Amino acid sequence: ENKHEEKVQDPDRREDETKAEMGRKTWADLAGEMKMFLWNPEDRTCLGRTAKSWGLILLFYFVFYTCLAGMFAFCMYVMLLTLSPYTPTYRDRVFPPGVMIRPYLNGFTIAFNVSQPSTWQPYVDSMHHFLAAYDDKVQEERNIECVSGQYFIQGGNESEEKKACQFKRSLLQNCSGIEDPTFGYSKGQPCILLQMTRGQKKNRIIGYRPGAGVPVSVDCKVQKGNESDLRSVDFYPGNGTFDLMYYPYYGKITHVNYTSPLVAMHFTDVKKNYLVPIQCSLNGKGIINNVNSDRFLGRIIFALSIGK
Amino acid sequence: IQDDHKLSASELEEKYGTSVNKGLSSARAAEILARDGPNSLTPPKATPEIVKFLKQMVGGFSILLWIGAVFSWISFGIQFAQGAESPFDNLYLGVVLAVVVILTGIFAYYQEAKSTNIMASFSKMIPQQALVIRDAEKKELSADQLVVGDIVEIKGGDRIPADIRLIFTQGCKVDNSSLTGESEPQSRSCDFTHENPLETKNVAFYSTTCVEGTATGIVINTGDRTIIGRIASLASGVGHEKTPIAIEIEHFVYLVAGVAISIGVLFFIISVSMRYKILDSIIFLIGIIVANVPEGLLATVTVSLSLTAKRMAKKNCLVKNLEAVETLGSTSIICSDKTGTLTQNRMTVAHLWFDNQIYSADTSEDQTTQPFDQSSPSWTALSKIVTLCNRAEFRPGQENLPIMKRVVVGDASETALLKFAEVILGNVMNIREQNKKVAEIPFNSTNKFQLSIHETDDPNDKRFLLVMKGAPERILERCSTIMINGKEEPLDSEKAAAFQTAYMELGGMGERVLGFCHLYLPENEFPDTYPFDTDSMNFPTSNMCFVGLLSMIDPPRSTVPDAVSKCRSAGIKVIMVTGDHPITAKAIAKSVGIISATSETVEDIAKRLNIPVEQVNRREATAAVINGMELKDMSLQQLDEILCNHSEIVFARTSPQQKLIIVEGCQRQGAVVAVTGDGVNDSPALKKADIGIAMGIAGSDAAKNAADMVLLDDNFASIVTGVEEGRLIFDNLKKTIAYTLTKNIAELCPFLIYIITSIPMPIGTITILFIDLGTDIIPSVALAYEKAESDIMNRRPRNKMKDRLVNEQLAVYSYLQIGIIQSVGAFITYFTVYAEQGFLPSTLLGVRVNWENNAINDFEDSYGQEWTKYQRMYLQWTGYTAFFVSITIQQVADLIIRKTRRNSIFQQGLFRNKVIWVGIFSQIGIALILTYGLGHATALNFTPLRFQYWFVAVPFAILIWAYDEVRKLFIRRYPGSWWDKNMYY
Repeated sequence: ENKHEEKVQDPDRREDETKAEMGRKTWADLAGEMKMFLWNPEDRTCLGRTAKSWGLILLFYFVFYTCLAGMFAFCMYVMLLTLSPYTPTYRDRVFPPGVMIRPYLNGFTIAFNVSQPSTWQPYVDSMHHFLAAYDDKVQEERNIECVSGQYFIQGGNESEEKKACQFKRSLLQNCSGIEDPTFGYSKGQPCILLQMTRGQKKNRIIGYRPGAGVPVSVDCKVQKGNESDLRSVDFYPGNGTFDLMYYPYYGKITHVNYTSPLVAMHFTDVKKNYLVPIQCSLNGKGIINNVNSDRFLGRIIFALSIGK
Repeated sequence: IQDDHKLSASELEEKYGTSVNKGLSSARAAEILARDGPNSLTPPKATPEIVKFLKQMVGGFSILLWIGAVFSWISFGIQFAQGAESPFDNLYLGVVLAVVVILTGIFAYYQEAKSTNIMASFSKMIPQQALVIRDAEKKELSADQLVVGDIVEIKGGDRIPADIRLIFTQGCKVDNSSLTGESEPQSRSCDFTHENPLETKNVAFYSTTCVEGTATGIVINTGDRTIIGRIASLASGVGHEKTPIAIEIEHFVYLVAGVAISIGVLFFIISVSMRYKILDSIIFLIGIIVANVPEGLLATVTVSLSLTAKRMAKKNCLVKNLEAVETLGSTSIICSDKTGTLTQNRMTVAHLWFDNQIYSADTSEDQTTQPFDQSSPSWTALSKIVTLCNRAEFRPGQENLPIMKRVVVGDASETALLKFAEVILGNVMNIREQNKKVAEIPFNSTNKFQLSIHETDDPNDKRFLLVMKGAPERILERCSTIMINGKEEPLDSEKAAAFQTAYMELGGMGERVLGFCHLYLPENEFPDTYPFDTDSMNFPTSNMCFVGLLSMIDPPRSTVPDAVSKCRSAGIKVIMVTGDHPITAKAIAKSVGIISATSETVEDIAKRLNIPVEQVNRREATAAVINGMELKDMSLQQLDEILCNHSEIVFARTSPQQKLIIVEGCQRQGAVVAVTGDGVNDSPALKKADIGIAMGIAGSDAAKNAADMVLLDDNFASIVTGVEEGRLIFDNLKKTIAYTLTKNIAELCPFLIYIITSIPMPIGTITILFIDLGTDIIPSVALAYEKAESDIMNRRPRNKMKDRLVNEQLAVYSYLQIGIIQSVGAFITYFTVYAEQGFLPSTLLGVRVNWENNAINDFEDSYGQEWTKYQRMYLQWTGYTAFFVSITIQQVADLIIRKTRRNSIFQQGLFRNKVIWVGIFSQIGIALILTYGLGHATALNFTPLRFQYWFVAVPFAILIWAYDEVRKLFIRRYPGSWWDKNMYY
């Protein structure tokens, strides 16, 4: 009580007292202080700075960040200069190749009922759409015929445009969708296309040559469960091999019309009304298909569920 | 209020149902013990360990991290329920965050406990014994078994086991210093001498010591009901304020948490409005929090403080509460005790007066000779009186110790004289043996002298020598002659006036003056066989020969004047607060420099100008000596005025309560106050002070309990070294925090850019934790070893309102300048890694959704190569590693620039602080282990990085260094400029 009276009596000391009582501020004080901080009409300061001070500090940061951005741009430019536009500097991470399948809609389970066209029609559409680029006509127009059974090595300048080999849809025979536009889905014998991912391995001139002279082949088996669930699979073309002539790949810029070879798998006899997990693997020299962490490296796991 | 001291012995016997001769019966005693409890002080209520531990778990940034952990678990729960592919990542992240919080909490708790344990060892008391009469038998009992009504016997050297009403005394003196701060022993008797129980002579108090004599008394209070117990409970009632560093750290935590939460919430809103899923947005939020919070920093601060605490312990400052380390550095007023802290706590002969001349003696702690002129025969006579008229003796078996360190049985003045004689004459005991004592009258307060009669050591001189010492005016009364240059001359008025002048002069120096005289008894009147009888005084005690004066003082410690002047240049005001006499207090204050040679008190000015005290302009006096009596009548306002207007203040004759008032007065000025104390009576002031400093040697347990720091050598100078360490650690913590905050931006930017531009994640949350709690820890501790940039004892103590630990400049410079440079450097590395693997920067923009899609296993890069999900993930981890390595490399540069805030690194020396290099090597070492040591195991998301990527950020590291050198150059070149104001943190 006494102390309080003294405070009132002596205004000079009062200021000191309030300073000492910093810890015990009320919300109203805080709000007032905040307002003062946002805009102090006396000193004409906003957030504790005058207009001039703000101008200077903003100018400083403008110059500072401009210089920094310049340095960033310069470093990026120098870095990009060291890159070849045709081949990546390092190609160790995309080797060995991975595997993808078509149709791919929303997951690795292909499930449909034969009797209900609406359940398999999306797969068929997807296949047609995907194979449009493989139409015999398109291929004949764009690409050349190559000699089967050997690598199609194209020398010359790195920047020279490279030729691509034809991969005609008709090679896929029963799975080409030419004779059976439903790719066997309407009969409960679905075709699935398998594609090996592209990479440019080895040195700059010659890209990745899968199989080291022997074509990479594909086989399929039941991943887990009864082997007899999957009784027969037909592979096209040529018993499920990727012909050597499609390799190496020379990169997006020079190998413009490159057409990835495909292997079609025709599942002619699969246990019906049952979810059959299937693993299809690549086989060949240098192919790795048993890494646990990457389930798409050299193999692919998907499930077929065909209803009546 | 008790009036036991007014009652007679028989009334007391009745009141307590006891008997002076037989004591209590054991059964009755047991009953009372059961009723009152043991005779011991209840220890201060300690916070339960579990509460302390839990406090560490939720303090500081822990709350933010707990929130992060909980969010992780929630999103794990949702993802798990949705059957997403890899929900466990979030579970692990949550667990990691929780582990981080718990580990740092345990660490902080452990550090805290360690420093508390040091103190615990202090308060261990040896069980005290008391001699009690019970069942009409004398028994040795443990003191805590005492009950009210017990009859106890006390002898010299004992600690008083309870509050006791004395009923029988014999030459009993008690040292009440632990209670009142007065070092002078006080005599005790059975007489009721004062209304106030504290002042009356027939009560002895718990925890004081009996210095000499014996006494018997009735226990009237035990345990917490004793006077000491009441003061101790008063101390526990005084609230403890937050330490300045705790306030600073809190401020800093709020600042960083504020930044973290606002950026987190802002980007949560941005990501939601960018159509990210809520769940993803929450995961981003966690990442932003983790990136923003310097997880390792609080642990680092604790380590830095405890390192300093260790360094201070080596310099005799034992810190009980780690945060007090810095409090000492921000101290602006030290309220110091006189006895024992500023002074040596032992009487020492300071001046001599003989042959009409004042000689000064050496009063240093380790004197071995005395330099004053000892050729005069008067000195020979004087030395003989000093040697012989003295009952003090050395305890045997200390021949190898230096004289000043030997233990003496006897009172303070006699001890001083004994040591003084021993230093000059050597072997005093031998001299006494040669001059056999035949009679003696010990000192008592009525005749105020001490006398003894000796045979002489000259075999041809058969006379007896009567030597006498005592209060100078009483001695002079008994003298008719005075010795000048060895010759007895009549004591005329001129010589008496010379004596008066000398006496006044010595007294004016605050010294205790003793007069010495002797008389050779004529051989014929006092033959060999003369039977001296001290009761009838059958020998002359007048017409003696006055030989000289000796004056004694408890001299200042030799290191103190230097320490006081250091305080002065460091802007710290030293106030002396003592129970001693104002004259003595002022004399000591002058000799140690608390009152400087040129400054005057109001009284001094009045004396010089020869005007009444009231007419003096008070503002002219820089110094003030304030008596406890004056203080009693002062209003708070007047006290504040004194504290404000005088720079040199001495409070004399103060009571313990007044000490508390003085401390509060200083705190009202906004000062950070350090208080030294040793007695139980000091404990409230010690507790109230921002930092209480207890004396390790002289201090009582209560004082040590209440204090934040213990001075192991009781030396004021140790406080000053403590201040220096405290200031240094404040500066170095600033550097540590600046260092640590910088990389937070480099950790945060990736998240922000990831959210906005949808590039693959540049750095993972776990990786961030590896920086915060791995590579950065040792370097940030290393900054605690940095030497001061300039003389930190030449600047004023920091203003706790203005000089913040983390100020705007520090945050802005670290966050918006160095932090941004680091981010740019790290992003260059990131883009380089991706580009060289086939993803040009342009390809990366906006790929997030497909990139993170588990089903897309033919993701095409800029060259047409196709990537499986795992191959992309592996590349992403390589990106993390590259980003991590870049931050680490740039943190090396950051560490080097943080060594100084103003000076060039080349001024500071790159190699002076070896620990910094340990930090740099550890940083790079840990990064190498994480990058290559784990091989291809990618559980921690580190992949072996191509060697050249370590160097991509090097130009930016160099840029950081160069830029900071330029900053410091401009700060030094243009002090006070815009640059200085905005760039100096």
